Amino acid sequence: RQQLVAPPRSPREATGEMREVVTVQVGGFANFVGSHFWNFQDELLGLADDPAADAAFRTAPLDMDVLYRTGETLQGVSTYCPRLVSVGSRGSLGSLSSSGAPSLSSAASDQLNVTTWSGNVTRSVEKPHGRNLFLQSLTEQEPNPSTSNGGNNSQKSVEDKDLVECLEKDVNFWTDYTKVQYHPQSLYEMYGSWTDFDKFDNFGTAREVVSEWSLMEEMNEKLRFFVEECDHIQGIQFIVDDSGGFSSIAATYLENIADDYTNTPVLLYCVRDPVTHGSSRNQRDTITRSLHDAVSLSKLSSFCSLMVPIGLPSLSQSSLSPFLSIQDAKPFHSSAISAAAIHSVTVPFRLQNAGPASNIAHSSGNIDMRELVHIISDQGRQNMVTALDVAMPAPSLKDGNDLWNMKSLRTLTPEISDEEEDPYSVESLVVHGVLRAGGHRASISQVKDSVYSAYEGRATKPKFSHLSVSPCPLPIPLPFPSIFRSHIGQHGEILSNHAEGTQPKGSLDVESIPMAARLRSSNAVLPFIERRSLSLQKFGVARGSLGTQILRDWGFGREEMEDMSEHLSKMVRAFHPEGGLTSDSD
Amino acid sequence: VDPHAEPERGGDEQVGGPGHEHRRRQGGLQDVLKTNLGPKGTIKMLVGGAGDIKLTKDGNTLLKEMQIQNPTAIMIARTAVAQDDTSGDGTTSTVLFIGELMKMSERCIEEGTHPRFLVDGFEVAKKATLEFLETFKTPVVIGDQPDREILKMVARTTLRTKLYEGLADQLTDIVVNAVLCIRQSDQPIDLFMVEIMHMRHKFDVDTRLIEGLVLDHGSRHPDMKRRAENCYILTANVSLEYEKSEINAGFFYSNAEQREKMVTAERRQVDERVQKIIELKNKVCAGTDKNFVVINQKGIDPPSLDLLARAGIIALRRAKRRNMERLVLACGGEAINSVEGMTEDCLGWAGLVYEHVLGEEKYTFVENVKNPHSCTILIKGPNDHTIAQIKDAVRDGLRSVKNTVEDEAVVLGAGAFEMAARKHLIDNVKKTVKGRAQLGVGAFADALLVIPKTLAENSGLDTQDVIVSLENEHDRGLVVGLNHNTGEPVDPEMEGIYDNYSVKRQIVNSGPIIASQLLLVDEVIRAGRNMRKPT
Repeated sequence: RQQLVAPPRSPREATGEMREVVTVQVGGFANFVGSHFWNFQDELLGLADDPAADAAFRTAPLDMDVLYRTGETLQGVSTYCPRLVSVGSRGSLGSLSSSGAPSLSSAASDQLNVTTWSGNVTRSVEKPHGRNLFLQSLTEQEPNPSTSNGGNNSQKSVEDKDLVECLEKDVNFWTDYTKVQYHPQSLYEMYGSWTDFDKFDNFGTAREVVSEWSLMEEMNEKLRFFVEECDHIQGIQFIVDDSGGFSSIAATYLENIADDYTNTPVLLYCVRDPVTHGSSRNQRDTITRSLHDAVSLSKLSSFCSLMVPIGLPSLSQSSLSPFLSIQDAKPFHSSAISAAAIHSVTVPFRLQNAGPASNIAHSSGNIDMRELVHIISDQGRQNMVTALDVAMPAPSLKDGNDLWNMKSLRTLTPEISDEEEDPYSVESLVVHGVLRAGGHRASISQVKDSVYSAYEGRATKPKFSHLSVSPCPLPIPLPFPSIFRSHIGQHGEILSNHAEGTQPKGSLDVESIPMAARLRSSNAVLPFIERRSLSLQKFGVARGSLGTQILRDWGFGREEMEDMSEHLSKMVRAFHPEGGLTSDSD
Repeated sequence: VDPHAEPERGGDEQVGGPGHEHRRRQGGLQDVLKTNLGPKGTIKMLVGGAGDIKLTKDGNTLLKEMQIQNPTAIMIARTAVAQDDTSGDGTTSTVLFIGELMKMSERCIEEGTHPRFLVDGFEVAKKATLEFLETFKTPVVIGDQPDREILKMVARTTLRTKLYEGLADQLTDIVVNAVLCIRQSDQPIDLFMVEIMHMRHKFDVDTRLIEGLVLDHGSRHPDMKRRAENCYILTANVSLEYEKSEINAGFFYSNAEQREKMVTAERRQVDERVQKIIELKNKVCAGTDKNFVVINQKGIDPPSLDLLARAGIIALRRAKRRNMERLVLACGGEAINSVEGMTEDCLGWAGLVYEHVLGEEKYTFVENVKNPHSCTILIKGPNDHTIAQIKDAVRDGLRSVKNTVEDEAVVLGAGAFEMAARKHLIDNVKKTVKGRAQLGVGAFADALLVIPKTLAENSGLDTQDVIVSLENEHDRGLVVGLNHNTGEPVDPEMEGIYDNYSVKRQIVNSGPIIASQLLLVDEVIRAGRNMRKPT
């Protein structure tokens, strides 16, 4: 029964059509993650056309049209922008205006005429947000392409060093390090009346915002713009910062999506900034946090196909720390890890087939989002909460008949057990850009062989597993944080002879990173769900409990509380054999 | 992350003396909103930290833009915005009225009056003013053929406070016609059936009413017609795309051949649905010059588009949900959820369907419809902030017409009602009240004057002169308001200046409730402070 499943043929192969993914980002940290994610894509686009780039990038193994759209401005200039709707609180766009263009200078706004009113005009101009060195360098590049490439190299790298440094010090908004041109329909700033977005820290705080009809309508319209033009949408990837009120906004948004695009799968990533895991001041705080987590899980999981919680309470102390030096206090740092992992998960959605003949060389295991959802949540247990593990960098293959090191995968999902041994687990593993000893890119078949034998060697094999392989590593764009430990090499290889204790390396020293990421539905996530289910019962539903009032303030009646509680219990029951599994015949 | 700083510093930071916090703090809001009022008010251009521009003369919008911290101010703002939610206008007036009530109370309290008396007086005055409003209002006969002129006067009055005269007058007919278009006898008016669309246009500021619908997307097939006359419209909510169903996802196939079979079978189901639509088209259009347009809420994939295009059908996909309802009201027919059993009766009709392309933006116009009950107001403007401001004004205009139709009454504007109500309170009501509550009635009466006073102030006139000359006219038994150009008294009826009855009613109703609450809370705080005093 335990088997390795041959990669299913995607409809792409059957019909030869590109299948679009639309991305949605909701909330502060989600946009930080998204900013890195799109920087990776932008870097890939640039490298594909760069004759000096690594061959793995130039053969364009990833179909960018899956994530990007071709368009045209009113002036007739053609554009290539992410299919993206980003929702944030007002003011969170920093120096970027919501039309996606860099902001107007205050002098220019003084010049504006009011064409609709003949009477008096008063102007109230906020202090413009400054554009940091990095953003300035982006706009400077365009009108000034004439910088010769001769002897200027040394000078150029000094400049880049300044840019990298400036980002380490000076990132306040997610737009501060984004190098991507966004579509005017992509960015949405929420204008909640008197909602203090600083205190937007639990599910209830968004009630007023969500109830404002025009706001949800505008968000729906933005998404519809991108979905309407898709010929064959494969799914929506949805990143939410579920640590606070945005969770509630996302829940309403997801509900509308489920209504409007009934059969379109939604892959939901719940991302959290390590700093949001701060300790509670008092009992009420603790209960509020627990209820928020429980309500979020219940509501968000109700309207998506697969839910991936990401966000360890600390990355600096995590098992990733031998390779990465992350400062938890910087969302610029921590969001980069989630973005890299999400990038890896999307790789199978856009593996290109150059045609049946050359099929073998380029990639293996392309699946679309619907198939992924099906593999993970419909096989074995009916569980849709999935752990995400990542190897960053993924270890190189050693020569000979070698087992790929499964232990190099470290989880990014909080509150799960270390239990690896679950005969009912279902996994989807993506390995891309892995090297062989000696620094050469490993071939697809080498990777496959190595991973397959690693699976064979496991004591308890998963019920199902799926493998996708691509030669294309994660590119490290300039505005990527300096988080690599000194023993990480230029291509993400792990150096054996390195000096201890030197400065972390950044994008100037590391060009690319081989990656592996795994989505895993196993009983390891049970504690995550159980804890939330219990807290809703303990604090919320039990009569006379402290949390009942809190939930009532959030607008939940008793019936709805009980529904949520039942929903969570059901998710827990999926893990108990008598409840969920029918084919326990071995 | 950085919260948007206050666009206008609302003075909420003022620190009042002990005990006066509530009474003092709301002054800031009043000052900010004051200059909005009337056709001579000041428009505000708010430029955000990223250069985003917002243009507004609307109290409601401005309040929402302000990051108000002070709880009292938030309470007032909420009341004012709730006012807007129910009647669509009057936010500025509500804030001004509450502010003025507090100011008048302040004087009395400083002279030793207990707030309780004021609150009692407010209650009496409110009741009397509401009764007076019933006698003062001008009834409007609506019936089957509403008095278009009076609707236009109300709309014009509202629009002229938001847009310059020329533009306001251009919009007046549009909003009146829009509301009359969607109005159906014995049903409440649903303003959502007026779609408001916009297009960016280089220089033009232009607005027009389309009896029919404008959709913000076009067909997705190169061979489909871009313009067609005499069109059947099929409004559908049917998936015309191949979606691999869950059970059949990749996994369970033992071989590629079996899989191929499943794919083909599912594709065939979609094709059959498309075929049903084509059959209906052939049935109703064959041998005529009629055309057939499918507007679908769900997706239509390229193979389906191909089939439809080959059959000469224009097809749009992913129409917004609300447009399904609007389409049926505009074109007739019904929205179908299944292609089974479709007949000609399901189809709507439009004389003209055409596509308009602006860069990557496409618009589809569905026009020349019969007896429409849904329509579109199309706003063209040179930039987002201009468009947004016109949109806000159009919404206000629509609300004012809707209110008039539903109220079956209007109220003389330009400050006439406030002057008359004050006179009534002073002359007839005050003396019926015993004791110090009289002071409350007086304060209420004087507070009403904030409206004509502010109108005068915004027009650069001397407020005292204006109030005196208006009072004189009212004493002579003439109901007059303020001519904001000359400062002279003017007959609002002659000038066609009318306000909404329901808006006035709500202002009179909610203002004293909030003011009373604030006064009483202040009293509690003051009492608490006194008790804790060390002496």
